[in-house]
Amino acid sequence: MSAATIWKCWFALMLLLAATTASAFVPLGSANIVISLAIAVAKALIVLLFFMELRGSRALVRAFAAAGFFWLLIMIVLTGADYWHRTDALAPIDQVR
Amino acid sequence: MSERAIGFQYATVAQQREASTLGMWAFLATEVLFFGALIAAYLNYRIWLGDEFIAAASLTKVALGTANTAVLLTSSACMAMAVMTFEAGSKRAPVLWLTATALLGLAFVVIKASEWWLDYQEHLIPALNFDLARHGGVAEIFFVFYFCATGLHALHLLIGISIVAWLATAIGRGRIVPGGSTTRLVGLYWHFVDVVWIFLFPLIYLAGRNG
Amino acid sequence: MHAPHDETYLNARVGIRSWLLTTDHKRIALLYFAGITFFFFIGGIAATLIRLELITPGPTLGSPDFYNRLFTMHGIVMVWFFLIPSIPTTMGNFILPMMIGARDLAFPRLNLLSWYFYIAGGLITIAALLLGGIDTGWTFYEPYSTFYATGYLILAVFGIFVSGFSSILTGLNFIVTVHKLRAPGMTWYRLPVFVWSTYATSLILILATPVLAMTLLMLLAERVLHVGLFSPQLGGDPILFQHMFWFYSHPAVYIMILPSMGVISEIVPVFARKPLFGYKFVVWCSIAIAAIGFLVWGHHMFVAGQSLYASLAFSFLSYLVAVPSAIKVFNWTATLHEGWIRFDAPMLYAFGFIGLFTIGGLTGLFLAALPIDVHVTDTYFIVAHFHYIMVGGAVMGFFAGLHYWWPKITGRLYPDYWARFAAILAFFGFNLTFFPQFILGYLGMPRRYQSYPPEFQIWHVLSSAGASILAFGYALPLFYFAWSILRGSRASANPWGATGLEWSTRSPPPPENFAATPTVVRAPYQYDQGKPCMQAGDV
Repeated sequence: MSAATIWKCWFALMLLLAATTASAFVPLGSANIVISLAIAVAKALIVLLFFMELRGSRALVRAFAAAGFFWLLIMIVLTGADYWHRTDALAPIDQVR
Repeated sequence: MSERAIGFQYATVAQQREASTLGMWAFLATEVLFFGALIAAYLNYRIWLGDEFIAAASLTKVALGTANTAVLLTSSACMAMAVMTFEAGSKRAPVLWLTATALLGLAFVVIKASEWWLDYQEHLIPALNFDLARHGGVAEIFFVFYFCATGLHALHLLIGISIVAWLATAIGRGRIVPGGSTTRLVGLYWHFVDVVWIFLFPLIYLAGRNG
Repeated sequence: MHAPHDETYLNARVGIRSWLLTTDHKRIALLYFAGITFFFFIGGIAATLIRLELITPGPTLGSPDFYNRLFTMHGIVMVWFFLIPSIPTTMGNFILPMMIGARDLAFPRLNLLSWYFYIAGGLITIAALLLGGIDTGWTFYEPYSTFYATGYLILAVFGIFVSGFSSILTGLNFIVTVHKLRAPGMTWYRLPVFVWSTYATSLILILATPVLAMTLLMLLAERVLHVGLFSPQLGGDPILFQHMFWFYSHPAVYIMILPSMGVISEIVPVFARKPLFGYKFVVWCSIAIAAIGFLVWGHHMFVAGQSLYASLAFSFLSYLVAVPSAIKVFNWTATLHEGWIRFDAPMLYAFGFIGLFTIGGLTGLFLAALPIDVHVTDTYFIVAHFHYIMVGGAVMGFFAGLHYWWPKITGRLYPDYWARFAAILAFFGFNLTFFPQFILGYLGMPRRYQSYPPEFQIWHVLSSAGASILAFGYALPLFYFAWSILRGSRASANPWGATGLEWSTRSPPPPENFAATPTVVRAPYQYDQGKPCMQAGDV
């Protein structure tokens, strides 16, 4: 990896940071979190692929890099499946206390 | 992680290097799930507790958070420079880049600490001085997550700063020379701590900014 | 430079430092054996006291509070300090590098560090249990564990947290070793099944354990600082704790059973003198179990208040995970078909495993069904089911492996007559202990209660009687193994006529495992007219 690549990546990261912070102040409803997480994924990919050199790594290393995120996704999707469909109406916390 | 010659269980240097790289990535996969469990819990509470939970996020200091993200991303670039110059055979350049990395890491911790100080003054620290009447119970749960996440991240960063400082010294004294894996592995760890922050940043600071 | 012919890993170096600072995977395995045996003994004492207590319908040995602490101690010690580390850290450590023709694990010092984490975590937890105990059960359910439980919960949870590092580092070490240190010719489909299943186990260890670590940290934060995370009185959701806890703890069941399945897959072909039937199915079923095992945790929460849609999905996925397990059972039995079967002690333990695991697995299907599960949740039916998997399965597998590799580890033969007697005793003792508990549970006896209606007494007495036989069956090996070290005849390199690399080197092995790195020329479990065809080409 050359110094030019590193600083190009850095510049892209700064642009994405500016974009994500700015987008947070625009009222877009539930699209806000989608945008900010999509930008986070883009930033993470830059760091993973370039700085952490996954781009030139063996398939095995890439598989292990992906495994952690994939298993995390399983956890988020399956727990989320429960929370999306919860029908129990909980008393507002401030009343409970 | 000394840079002695090849371990007796390996046949070649390349085999040893691949093993240590794979080991590091397997370790990072565990770290993904360690922080990920907290993030998953956060996301579920965000669904479950709704707007009040999201609104609590707007009590965080977005300017400081954004500045800190920039600091940390820059430190990663410096770390990449350190690894690149080290593997190119330079001795002086990696020491300088590593020093820059560690200093930026320290800057992150200082900004983080000042942010916590502001939180303290606004009575936002659960178990210490959280003002329930002013902020509400849902906000308290958000701030429990906030302190767990930023605290554990800061701990990882402090460990990283110590290792980077040690590495800079060792390279400066010629105890670590190109060919081994140590520098690259330290780099991987540092970048990973950066990746964690990349995800914490929007979840903590950018939620509830336009409500 | 050749070592003298009588130099083994046991006598190459002497002194206490040569053991406590060793990086030899074989010596570290023996260190783990010492720790595992100690914790099995502690957990076993607790189990014995539980069964004594339950002989009468009312209090027998102590107060209900004492009983709560007893079953909590039994659960915590057996799950975290015996079952989870048992086979991987002992036989995995000793045999896995030899099976693939390596001289050690990829990271020997990390391996030693893992042992210290394990012992430190274990001692911290034992201290908490002895100082006054904990009354939450091994599951630490919220909000009970944070706001109502008494005792040294913080210390015990911290001990479990520490031992988690041992799990993670061990799993990481095995994964890298299997990927990077295989001998020339040892392709993936030539790996013994024990290696595959330990690899699958290691994947679970590194991907599930960190979630438990975070869950326990959150629990500690809530207990120590009284800040809301899971407790409803502070606005949290106790069901989230259960989600996070079981995301680790259900795959943990597969951490316990997969290595045993690996051991059985080694033993059955050797004592049937036949190749393992459907090798590729068996190895890919190990991987499938590890992967699907992550998708079923919600079946622990059918009555906990999770949404019905989630329960339906988890029920379906739980049926799915039974498929690869069943395929394995079919493969082991098909291997026996037209085999030249020998009934040595390891094979008897393996038979015990297959039968008991099948019962445990089939009753697991009952529990995956929502309506039946609602009826038997938190009854002795559950207790019986998971003991059939963990004791009938995992512990039988542990003993099977111990008897199988004992000659390799110690270089001595044990009296086979007594070993077969112990295997049969354990099998019958086990069934007498736990089969009545299925009936008890179906009749409505809840778990974790000291007192029960008098009409249940007959089943409890039967169960306690079985437990005493089981205890005898587990204690017997201690004596004949000790005898074998002192008086047993010397074992040859390959006393069972097996084919793996570990049987190509001396018993006990030299410090570097092999005089020269072996070259692998064929798949495992190959027999020609009942004669083993060794995997190693030229030893």
